[in-house]
Amino acid sequence: MEGAHSTGVSGVLCADHKGLCLGVRGKASNASSGTVAALAERVAMLEPGSLDPVILLESDNSQCLIHRNSGITLAVYKSPETS
Amino acid sequence: MHGIGRVPDEVGHLILSEDGAVIASGGELENAEQMANTVLCMLTRINKGQLWPGDSGDAFKKISITYTDHSYVICLSNKNIHIVKRRFVPHEPIKV
Repeated sequence: MEGAHSTGVSGVLCADHKGLCLGVRGKASNASSGTVAALAERVAMLEPGSLDPVILLESDNSQCLIHRNSGITLAVYKSPETS
Repeated sequence: MHGIGRVPDEVGHLILSEDGAVIASGGELENAEQMANTVLCMLTRINKGQLWPGDSGDAFKKISITYTDHSYVICLSNKNIHIVKRRFVPHEPIKV
């Protein structure tokens, strides 16, 4: 959760393999943990033999990076106003 | 032609309709129905789930799925879902 203090990061969320929120900081909602975990799970099925990829969702004003490692899914929210 | 093929380092493309039907495909994504199903599930999950804090309703314009040596880029254009697979060779960091 130390990344929550990095430049540009507005929020951080951690979820376990079942979508349970393990921790949240900044402008992130624990209600997103299920969606984040489900996204990571679904994308991992694309290439079962490869390491889990990094998912980047970009909108006009914000970004959300999602990565799963060892069953823990991390979502990092970035927005310009926190740069 | 759909204009795909001008994306640098593209090795495959897939175009889906709003309901997930494959409109065009080529390269490594030719007839990639599993990719189509996965992308549709992802988009459905993103639209239904609360991914962004609060109720800002921030609609995502582009989705990138990045592996070690290739990536998939997904975007919506003209009511179709465009997916491009791109190869890249990671550069070694510059040592100063």
